[in-house]
Amino acid sequence: MKGASLVPTGEATLGPFFPPRYVDEGANDLTVFEGRKAKGEAIEIHGRVLQEDGTPLENLVVEIWQADAGGIFRHSADPRHAQADPDFLGWGRAATDASGNYRFKTVLPGAPEGRAPHINVMVMFSGLMRILKTTLFFEISSDPVLSAVPPGRKGLLVAKKQGPNSYRFDIRLRGEDETPFFDD
Amino acid sequence: MPSVIQPRDERTQPSRIVPGYPQTPLRNPQQSLVKRAPTLSELTGPLDAAKRVRLLGGDIAGHGGKQAIGQLIHLKVRVLDEDGAPVGGALVEMWQANAAGRYIHPNDDDRAPVDLNFYGAARLVTDESGAFELRTVKPGAYPVPTNDGWWRPPHVHFSMFGKVWLSRLVTQMYFPGEPLNAQDRILNAVPDAAARDRLVARYVPPTGNPPDALVFEHQIVLRGRASTPGQP
Ligand SMILES: [Fe+2]
Repeated sequence: MKGASLVPTGEATLGPFFPPRYVDEGANDLTVFEGRKAKGEAIEIHGRVLQEDGTPLENLVVEIWQADAGGIFRHSADPRHAQADPDFLGWGRAATDASGNYRFKTVLPGAPEGRAPHINVMVMFSGLMRILKTTLFFEISSDPVLSAVPPGRKGLLVAKKQGPNSYRFDIRLRGEDETPFFDD
Repeated sequence: MPSVIQPRDERTQPSRIVPGYPQTPLRNPQQSLVKRAPTLSELTGPLDAAKRVRLLGGDIAGHGGKQAIGQLIHLKVRVLDEDGAPVGGALVEMWQANAAGRYIHPNDDDRAPVDLNFYGAARLVTDESGAFELRTVKPGAYPVPTNDGWWRPPHVHFSMFGKVWLSRLVTQMYFPGEPLNAQDRILNAVPDAAARDRLVARYVPPTGNPPDALVFEHQIVLRGRASTPGQP
């Protein structure tokens, strides 16, 4: 179908009835895939998701996508994908609990070509007509995506180290200290 | 092949803040969204998320003595990219209300009856031609607890994984000829009329096959193409 040009389907909210069984047991643990352990340093990423008035949001769906410990994506578009860790899927899903907290276990991503180590994050929920996409960093560093963020807001994309292997990344959908989201 | 993701035509996508949808002004960013040029990170994505989750077949209307109540329908859906190329091997998650407009979910109240033979969710993978089929019952309409006359028209929810992170899609599919379509705040949040029409499935006049179900066809287009238009 050369020359075809179709318009992407319109997005819509996840609504309040996303089946709880779609947040599979263990889908928030990227350190194990098909029973085998991923290479690299295991870390925990956790945080709270709040709306404008500070209310924590329950059953909000968070998904992440990241490179493996060597900075390689498990995807054919990555020129190095043949060397990707076969035991690391790179994708995970979590839902927030009644206090608005989500939690992932994963491995510290390596630096992909031309990028600082980072984790792509998306948020889906009732009242969000479009998926909200952001990116978690581990420090302020030279990175083309972080560079696109206005100077005063870059720090909001840096996860706070809370222990040797634990990072906190709060997501504020609107209002004070609003998380920068990308216009993708 | 690397995917190219181009900016969207905003008129074909819903507004983020929707009049009469009270959660939207509390949950959507106030600050401008940050523009970025996609890098390899956003132009890759989970191709085999289906290995991480439990699949549920697309035949969800039940059989024998355990059939769901309602109008039996077959939904034939094709998933394409912006070039019109099929997106095969894509994980699809679907959920819907039963024929009475009730979800199996703790958030749904007890206004409408549960159908013990209907859970209303399917999770499957598209075939090589980007197609998948569902055997289900037509969902009922349901009132939204804004208590101001907003009812959701019959609709089916879809969550889909494309080839790359930026092609991830959450959408809803509607049914043709439903009077509630014209006043639904979610469907009508898409400004462009043609884009709204593409969210509505196509009714296929019955041919006798299948003998027991009405057929609807639908097309879903995920973001991404192999090349920019005009390239040879
Ligand atoms: Fe719904």
